Amino acid sequence: MSNSTNKSAPKGNASNGSVPVLDVEDLRGGYGAIQVLHGLDFQVDEGEIVVILGANGAGKTTTLRAISGMIERTGSITLRGDNIGTTKAPDIVRKGVAHVPQGRGTLPELSVEDNLLVGAYIRSDNEVDSDIEQWYDVYPVLRERKNQRAGSLSGGEQQMLAVARALMSRPSLLLLDEPSLGLAPIIVSELFERFAEINRENGTTMLVVEQNAQLALGIADRGYVLESGTIFAQGPADELINDDAIRKAYLGV
Amino acid sequence: MTTPRFIFDEGSSRYRMYRIAGFTLLALLIVVVAFAYNDTGSITLFDNDYKLSITRVTKSISFMVAILGLQVVAGYTGQLSLGQGFFFGMGAYVAAWLVADHSWPWFLTLAVVVPACFLVGLLFGLPALRIKGLYLALVTLGLAAIFPSLILLDILEPYTGGAAGKSVDSDLVPPGWLPLDGMVDTLHKLPLVGRYFGDGEGLSHKEEQRVWTFFMMVLLALACFKMVNNLINSRPGRAMRAVRDNETSAAVNGMSLSYHKAMSFGVASALGGVGGMIYVAELGIASPGDFTQLLSILFIVGLVVGGVGTLSGAVIGGLDIAFIPDWASSTQSLPGVPERWLQGPTGGLILGIGLIVLTFVLPGGIIAGVRKIRAKFVRIIPQRPEPYVEAIQAAATTNKDEKATTV
Amino acid sequence: MELLINRIFDGLSNGATYALLAMALVMIFKATTLINFAQGEFAMFGGFIVMVLVLEQGLPVWVGVIVGMLLSAVLAAGIERTLIRPFDPSDHLPLVIITLGLFLGINAIAGIVWRFDPRAFPEMFPSGNAFTWGNASLSWYTIGTLVTIAVVAGLLTLLLNKTKTGLAFRAVSSNLESSELAGIKVGPTLQFGWAIAAAVGTLGVAVFVASPVRQLEPQVMVTGLIFAVSAAALGGLDSLGGAIAGGLAIGLVQSIVVPYLGIPSELSLFAAVVVLMLVLLFKPAGLFGTAAVERV
Repeated sequence: MSNSTNKSAPKGNASNGSVPVLDVEDLRGGYGAIQVLHGLDFQVDEGEIVVILGANGAGKTTTLRAISGMIERTGSITLRGDNIGTTKAPDIVRKGVAHVPQGRGTLPELSVEDNLLVGAYIRSDNEVDSDIEQWYDVYPVLRERKNQRAGSLSGGEQQMLAVARALMSRPSLLLLDEPSLGLAPIIVSELFERFAEINRENGTTMLVVEQNAQLALGIADRGYVLESGTIFAQGPADELINDDAIRKAYLGV
Repeated sequence: MTTPRFIFDEGSSRYRMYRIAGFTLLALLIVVVAFAYNDTGSITLFDNDYKLSITRVTKSISFMVAILGLQVVAGYTGQLSLGQGFFFGMGAYVAAWLVADHSWPWFLTLAVVVPACFLVGLLFGLPALRIKGLYLALVTLGLAAIFPSLILLDILEPYTGGAAGKSVDSDLVPPGWLPLDGMVDTLHKLPLVGRYFGDGEGLSHKEEQRVWTFFMMVLLALACFKMVNNLINSRPGRAMRAVRDNETSAAVNGMSLSYHKAMSFGVASALGGVGGMIYVAELGIASPGDFTQLLSILFIVGLVVGGVGTLSGAVIGGLDIAFIPDWASSTQSLPGVPERWLQGPTGGLILGIGLIVLTFVLPGGIIAGVRKIRAKFVRIIPQRPEPYVEAIQAAATTNKDEKATTV
Repeated sequence: MELLINRIFDGLSNGATYALLAMALVMIFKATTLINFAQGEFAMFGGFIVMVLVLEQGLPVWVGVIVGMLLSAVLAAGIERTLIRPFDPSDHLPLVIITLGLFLGINAIAGIVWRFDPRAFPEMFPSGNAFTWGNASLSWYTIGTLVTIAVVAGLLTLLLNKTKTGLAFRAVSSNLESSELAGIKVGPTLQFGWAIAAAVGTLGVAVFVASPVRQLEPQVMVTGLIFAVSAAALGGLDSLGGAIAGGLAIGLVQSIVVPYLGIPSELSLFAAVVVLMLVLLFKPAGLFGTAAVERV
C-alpha cells in the first residue's frame, strides 16, 4: 500500500501507472451565493485510503457533496477517466461512487436487510443475496438484527450498516463523510479498524472526510488538509501525522 | 435593467408626496365606486349581463378583511388555515344575533365578535406546538366542515334561526347632515362621466344606506389593514416573521414558538370574525349555507391569487373571490364555448385552474406581478438604519427600532 | 342487541370506505408528508369513470372497477408529473395550493360533465343478506366491503414489501437523500405512489356508492374527505395498517357512538371531527404512526 514518499509532489504517484480512481481539478462549489470550495486539486489512486482533514467549516463535507453531485459545482472530476463533473446525485451511484453521508443516512423505518437491499438497488445481477450474506459474516451483529428497524440500531451499528449498504453497489469509490461523528471513542477506533480491514481485503478505494485526524491518518495512505476551501497541506499520512504545524492546528498537541 | 423613472428616498419629502398622491387616488377611487352605478348598473358583454353593484363591493370588503386574517397566519407565520370560513361565519352570526335580538348598534358588536373569535382561535391555535403547519390545516379543515352543522344544532336554533338563517333588519343609516344626495347630483353633472353617477334625482333611502354602509366598512377595513401593518412592523410582528422563516433558529433565539403561532392565529380568527360582521351587515341575513367548507377554500384562493404575505394582496383576493364566481355564473353565452361549460360550477373551475396556473407563473400572486411592473417605473430606497454605535452613544434609555423594509 | 350487531356491521362497512380513502391519503403522506386535499375528488372522479364504463359502455361491474382504477391511476400519474414534480418536495405551500386548485377544478369538471343529480351506481356485491339472526342481518354488501379491504391490504403489503418498486417507495418515504444516493429515482417513485393512491381511492368510492342506499354525485367526497382525514390521523398518518384501523374505528364511531349518545346522524361528521381534534391534541402520531422527531 506504500506510495511515493516525495512530500513535495502535488499528487500521489500510482506505482503501477494506472489511471487514478478519482481525479479532481480546480473544484469550486458551494451553496448558492456562498462559495465554499475555491479550487481544489486532488486525486485518489486505486486501493488507497485518502483522508480529507480540516476544521469545521473548511469545506470537507462540501467537497464530498460536490463529488457526488449534491450541489452545484465546477471543475473537472473524473472517475477512472470517466467524466462525472456533470453527474447529479441520483446517477452518481450508477457511475460507481457510493456516498455515505454525514449522519450515516440510515433509512430508519426499513429493516436492516432492506437497507442493504436499497444499497443494491441499481444492481440486476444475482449475487446480491450472497453479498448480503458476506456482510453478515463480516458483521454478525447485522445478521442478528436483520429484520429489525434500522433506526433502532446503535450509532456504531448504523455506521457499519451504512458502509455495508454503500458497498452493496460494488462501487469504484467509497466516500465517507465524518464516520466518527456522534460515536463513542471505543466504537470509533473499532470502526476505523474495520475500514482498514475492508480496504485490505477487498481493495476498496476510499475517500474519507474526518475531524478526528489522528484516527483517520492512522489508517490512511495519504491525506489532504483543507482550510477555508483550499488545500493547505498534503502528503503521505505518516508525514502529516509527524508534521508539527499540522499537529498543532489539528491534533491539539 | 433600465433605471426606473422615479426614484424615491424613503423619508424624503418627494416620497411623502408620492404617498399622498397614492392615497388621494385611493380615496378618489372609493368615492367613485360609492356613487357610480349605484346598484343600477351593469355591463353587457357578449350578451351577458354583469352586474356591478355596491353591495357586491361591500361584500368583497368583508372578504378582504377575512383574507387579511389569513395573511397574518399564513403569510407571516407560514401556517395554513383552512377554516377561516368558520370564524367568518361565527362573526356573522354573533353580530346578527346581537343586532337582531338585542338591538345593538352594528359597530358595537365588534366588542364581542373580536374577543370571542380571538379566544376561539387561540383555543385551537394553542396546541399548534404539536405538529407544524399540518396540524393547523387539518384542524381548521374540520372546523370549516362542521360549521353549518353547528348552526343547525337544535339547541342553538333560537339564536341562529336554524336553516332559514338569521335575518337582521337593522341597517346602517347615514347621519342626516351628510349630503349624500347632493354629492351624487354634483357628480352627475360632470361632463362625459356624469351619466354613470346615478340619475340626477338624488338617492333613495335604500341607496343612501348602501353608500353609507360602504363608506363605514371601508373605514373599518382600513383600520384593520393599518392595525395589521403596525403589527407586522412591530416587535411581535418581526417575531412572527422569524417564526415563519426558520422555526428552529427562532426557537433557539428564545422566542416562544407556540405563543407566537397561537397569537397569530387568534388575530387571524378575530379578523375573520370582523369580516363576517361586515358581511352580515351588508347582506342582512346569515344563513348556514353561506359558510361552508367551500368558503374557507375560496378564502385561500383569494389569499394566493392576491399574493401570500402581502397586505394589498388581500384587497385583490377579496375582490376576485367576490366577483369571479358571480360573473362566471352570469355568463350564459360566450362565443365559441359550448353552453354546457358555462353553467353552474364554472366559477369553481376558473378559480381552480387559476390557482394552479398562478402557482407556476406567479407564485407571489397578482401583487407580485404588479410589483414587477411597478419596479420598472418606481424605486423606493429604504432609509438606512441609524448606525448602531450612534444609537448606543445617544445613551437613550429606549432602543431605536430600525425602520422595517417595505412589506 | 340485534340492533347493536346491525350497527356494528353498518359501521364496519362504512369504515371500509373510509379505510380505503385513508390508505390513499397515507400513501401520499408517507412519501411526501403532504396531505392531498384533492384525494377525495380524485376518488370521486374515478368513481364516475367506473360508472360510465359500466352503465354506458356495458362492461361487467368488476371489470369496470378495475379499468376505472387503472385509468384514475394513469390520470394521477399524469398530474404528479406535470403539476407536482416541478416543485421542491420540501416546500409544502405551493403543493398544498395545487391540491386545493385540483379540488376545485376536478369538482367543477365533474359537475359540468355529469351534473349534480345523484346517480345510481352499479352494485358490486350480491344484494340481500348472507345471514340473519332474528332482527340482525349480515348483508353481502358488508361482507363484500370487508373482503375488499382485506384483499387490498394484502396486495398493497405484497407490493410494498416484495417488489423493487415497493422497496423504492418505502426508501423514499424513509430517507430521500439516501435513496437518491442509492440511485433511486425519486420522481417516478412518487408518481407510482400517487397512482396507487388514486386507484385505491377510486375503489373506495366505488365500494361506498355501490351500497343500495347510496348514490354517486360530485359532492360525495367533499365531506367524505373529512372522514378519511380523521381515519388517517387516528391511525397515524404514515401507517397503512393504521389507516385501516382508523377507518373502521371511525365507521364504528359513526354507527354506534353517535346514536348511542343521542347525537343526530347529520352530526356524525361532527363526531369524526371531534375524534380528529382529540387525536391531534393528545396523540398526534395516532395509534400506529411514528412520532415525528425533528432534528435541530
